Amino acid sequence: MTILVGYVPSALGEAALRAAVEQARFRDEALLVVNTSRGDAYVDPRFAQEGDLERVVSELTAEGVPHTVRQLVRGRDAAEEIVEIVEAEEISLVVIGIRHRTPVGKLIMGSAAQEILLRVPCPVLAVKAD
Amino acid sequence: MTGRTTRPERGGDRPPRPAVPTLPEQAGTPDREKGGPPPAASDPTPPAADLAGRPARSAASTGPAPVSAPDAEVAPPDAEPAATPARGGDRAQYGVCAFLALVGGLVIVDATRIGHAINSADPIGPKPVPILLGVLLLIVAAVYAVDVARGGAGEPEAGEDVDLTTPIDWRTVLLLIGAFLVNAVLIERLGWVISGTLLFWGSAYALGNRHYVRNLLIAVALSLITFYTFAIGLGVNLPAGVLQGIL
Amino acid sequence: MDNLGNLLDGFANVVTPMNLLIALLGVTIGTAVGVLPGIGPAMTVALLLPVTYGMEPTQAFIMFAGIFYGGMYGGSTTSILLNTPGESSSVVTAIEGNKMAKAGRAAQALATAAIGSFVAGTIATLALVLVMPPVVAFAISLGAPDYFALMLLSFVAVTAVLGASRVRGFASLLIGLVIGLVGIDQSGQQRLTFGLPQLADGIDVVVVAVGIFAVGEALWIAAHLRRKSGEVIPVGQPWMGREDWKRSWKPWLRGTAYGFPFGALPAGGAEIPTFLSYATEKKLSKHKEEFGRGAIEGVAGPEAANNASAAGTLVPMLAIGLPTNATAAVMLAAFQQYGIQPGPLLLTRESGLVWTLIASLFIGNLLLLVLNLPLAPAWARLLRIPRPYLYAGILFFATMGAYAVNAQPFDLFLLLTLGLLGFGMRRFGLPILPLIVGVILGPRAELQGRRALQLSGGELHGLIGGWVSWLIYAAIVVVLLWPLVGRFVVRPLRGRLVTR
Repeated sequence: MTILVGYVPSALGEAALRAAVEQARFRDEALLVVNTSRGDAYVDPRFAQEGDLERVVSELTAEGVPHTVRQLVRGRDAAEEIVEIVEAEEISLVVIGIRHRTPVGKLIMGSAAQEILLRVPCPVLAVKAD
Repeated sequence: MTGRTTRPERGGDRPPRPAVPTLPEQAGTPDREKGGPPPAASDPTPPAADLAGRPARSAASTGPAPVSAPDAEVAPPDAEPAATPARGGDRAQYGVCAFLALVGGLVIVDATRIGHAINSADPIGPKPVPILLGVLLLIVAAVYAVDVARGGAGEPEAGEDVDLTTPIDWRTVLLLIGAFLVNAVLIERLGWVISGTLLFWGSAYALGNRHYVRNLLIAVALSLITFYTFAIGLGVNLPAGVLQGIL
Repeated sequence: MDNLGNLLDGFANVVTPMNLLIALLGVTIGTAVGVLPGIGPAMTVALLLPVTYGMEPTQAFIMFAGIFYGGMYGGSTTSILLNTPGESSSVVTAIEGNKMAKAGRAAQALATAAIGSFVAGTIATLALVLVMPPVVAFAISLGAPDYFALMLLSFVAVTAVLGASRVRGFASLLIGLVIGLVGIDQSGQQRLTFGLPQLADGIDVVVVAVGIFAVGEALWIAAHLRRKSGEVIPVGQPWMGREDWKRSWKPWLRGTAYGFPFGALPAGGAEIPTFLSYATEKKLSKHKEEFGRGAIEGVAGPEAANNASAAGTLVPMLAIGLPTNATAAVMLAAFQQYGIQPGPLLLTRESGLVWTLIASLFIGNLLLLVLNLPLAPAWARLLRIPRPYLYAGILFFATMGAYAVNAQPFDLFLLLTLGLLGFGMRRFGLPILPLIVGVILGPRAELQGRRALQLSGGELHGLIGGWVSWLIYAAIVVVLLWPLVGRFVVRPLRGRLVTR
C-alpha cells in the first residue's frame, strides 16, 4: 500500500508533505508525491518547477522514506487526477492541504479539496498550513 | 473540411525563431505522380528554393500554360486553403496555388463584365487594375507551384501559445467556428448579451475548459459589462434583442 | 519654432484629466496585452478600434498611442521572464534577458529594458518631431506619379524584404490588393461585389484587420494550443545598481541610433536594428565573457533599438501615410475610419490631431515608466489566465467590434471568412503584413496611378514623374535585389548570433 500526497509548491504543500512523511513512517509505507497542473495557463503557481521537485526528492531521501514523484499535465483538474490514481492503484491514504475558502470563491472556482474529500474511496488526511 | 491531416506541419521542433532555411528532404515523392517539374531534391543549394522568386518567375513567364493544372483535385466552394488539407504534408500547399489561381480567375472574369466607363477625365477606367491583379495572381500561383514542387515550404507561424509538434486539432477549430456561427445567426434575434454569452461559453468549452458554471458566470458578466459600457455608455451599435426594455 | 509651439499646444490638449485618463487606460491595456502571450499590439489596436467609435478622434488616438508603446513594454517583460519572444523584434532581448533572469537578475533586466525603452522612446519621439515637418514639406511637393511609385516601393518592401519567402509575400500582397478592390470604384462601377449590397461600400478595413489578426490568430492558436505550463521566473521590484546604470546608458543611446532610422525606412522593421545593436554591444563591451550568460548591455541596447524603431515607423505613417509595420497599418485604418485621409496633407489639415498624438506619445512613455517599474510583478500575474479564457475573449471582442462597425450580421460571416483566410495563411506560412498593407494602400495606389495616367492621357510614361520617381524606382530595384545582400551579409550575421 502507498500513501498519496497532493503536493503544491507553497506552505500548504509543504505542510501536507510533512504530514505525509509522518504517516509514511508511522505506517511503514511508501509515499507517492503527486503534482498536477491543467497546463492551460502560461503560468500555474501550483505547478512544481524542477527545482521544487528536486528539493522534495532530496528531503525524502534524507528522511529515508521510499517515494515516487509523479507530475501530471494533462489538461485535467487536480481532483480528477487524484481520484483516478486512487481508484486505479493501491492507495491507503490521501494527504492534502486545505485552506479557507469563501462560498462565492468555491462557487466560481470550485474546490479541489472538497472534490477529493467527497470522491476518494479511501481515508483522507486534510492538513492546514501553519 | 472533411480531410484529416496526418502531421501536415513541418519544422515543429524548431524554436520560435524567424530563421529560414527550408528543408528539401520531402521534395520529390508526393508530386512525382502529378508530372510536375523534376524534383529538386538533389539540388545542392537548398536556399535557392527559398529565394525562388527571381529565377522561377522568369521560367514561369515563358510558359504560363500549366497554371491551373493542380486545381483539378481541390475545388472547394468557399476556396479556403485551410479547409483543404491534402493527405501528404507538402501536397496541401498546392491547395494554396489552386486558391490563388481561382481568385485570379475570378477577378479577371469579374473585370471583363464591367462595362466601359472610360472618359477623358479617367482614361484608364475601372477595368485594367483588376485584370492586372488577376494576371499577377495567376503568375504567382504558377511560381508558387514551382516553388512547392522544388521543395519549398512555408513555415507555419510559431508563437508563444503555439505548439507546432501537435497536428492541427480540427475538433477545436470546428467547435470554435460553430460557436462563432451561432452568435452570428442569433445576435439580432436574441441580442448581444445572450449571443455573446453563448459565444464566450462555447469558445471556452471548445478550447477545453470544463468549468461550466464558472464559465457561464464569466460569460454573462463579460456580455453585460461590454453591453453597458459600449452600447449604452459609448454608443457603440450592439443589439439588445429580446432583452430590449429589460437591460 | 513653429513646431515647438504646435507641440506645446498638443501637450495642452493631452493634459486634461479626461485625456490623461484615456492615455493611462491605453498604456494599461497595451501593457496588459503585451504581457499576455499571443496578443500583439496590432491585434489590440484592431480589436479596440470599433469600441472607440463613440470617442473623439483625438482621444481615440491618444489611446492608440498608449497601446502602441505599452505593447512594446509588455512584450519585453514576457521575453525576459519566460524566454518566449512573441515577435521577431524581441528575439534578441530574450537571448540575454532570460539568462539574466535565470541568474537571479530579473529585476535588473526588467529595469534596464523599461528605462531603456523610456529613454529610446523619448529621444526617438523627439527625432520624430524634428524629422517629420521636413519630410512632410518634401512630400507635399511630390506629384501623383511619385506617390504611385512610393506606394509600389512600399508594396515591394513589405513583401520582398520582410519574411522568408518572396513568392508567399507576393501571394499575400495580391490577396490584400484584391480585397481592396471590392466595392464601387471611383467611376461608379461595382467590382467583385457579386451583387451583394453589403459589399458595395467595400470590405471595411477594420473587419479585415480584426479578421486576419484576431480571428485568424485565435483559430490558428486553438488548432495548436500548447497544453503546458512554462517556467516563470519570480520577479521582484525592478531596480538597477550604480554599475548597471554605468553599463546601460551607452547601449541605450546606441540602440536608439540604430532603431529610429531603420524604423523610418519603408522596410526597416525592428529585427535588423536589434540584431545590429546586439552585435555592436557585444563588440564594445568590457564584459564580453558575460554575453550568452546574461549581459545587461545585451538587453539595454536591443530593447532601446526596438522602441526607437517603433517611433521611427511613425515618420512614414504620419508624414506620407505609408505603413511599415502591422500596428502602423492598423492605425492607418483607424485614420480612415474617422474619415481622415492619411498622407502628406495630414499635418496641415489635422495639425491639432497629429501634434496631440505626438504629445501623447511622450506622456504615454512617461506613464509607462511609472506604471511598469513598480508593477512588473503584478503584470507577471496576468500570465495565470487560462488560455481558453484568453482566446475565447479575443473571439468575443473581435465579434463585438466587427458587428459594431456597420451593425449588420453579414459582417460577422465576412469576419469568419477572413479569419479562415488568416488561419490558412498562418498554416502555409504566408506573411500577414503584405495583405494588410495591400488592403490599405491598394485603393490609394490605384487612385494615384489613375490620376497620374489621366495627366498623360493614358500613356504609360505618365507613371514616371520627376527625379523622385526615378529614385524610387531605383530603390525598388535595390529592394528586389536585397535577398542577395541578405544572403551574404545579414544571414551569416544572424546565424552567428543565434549559435553563440
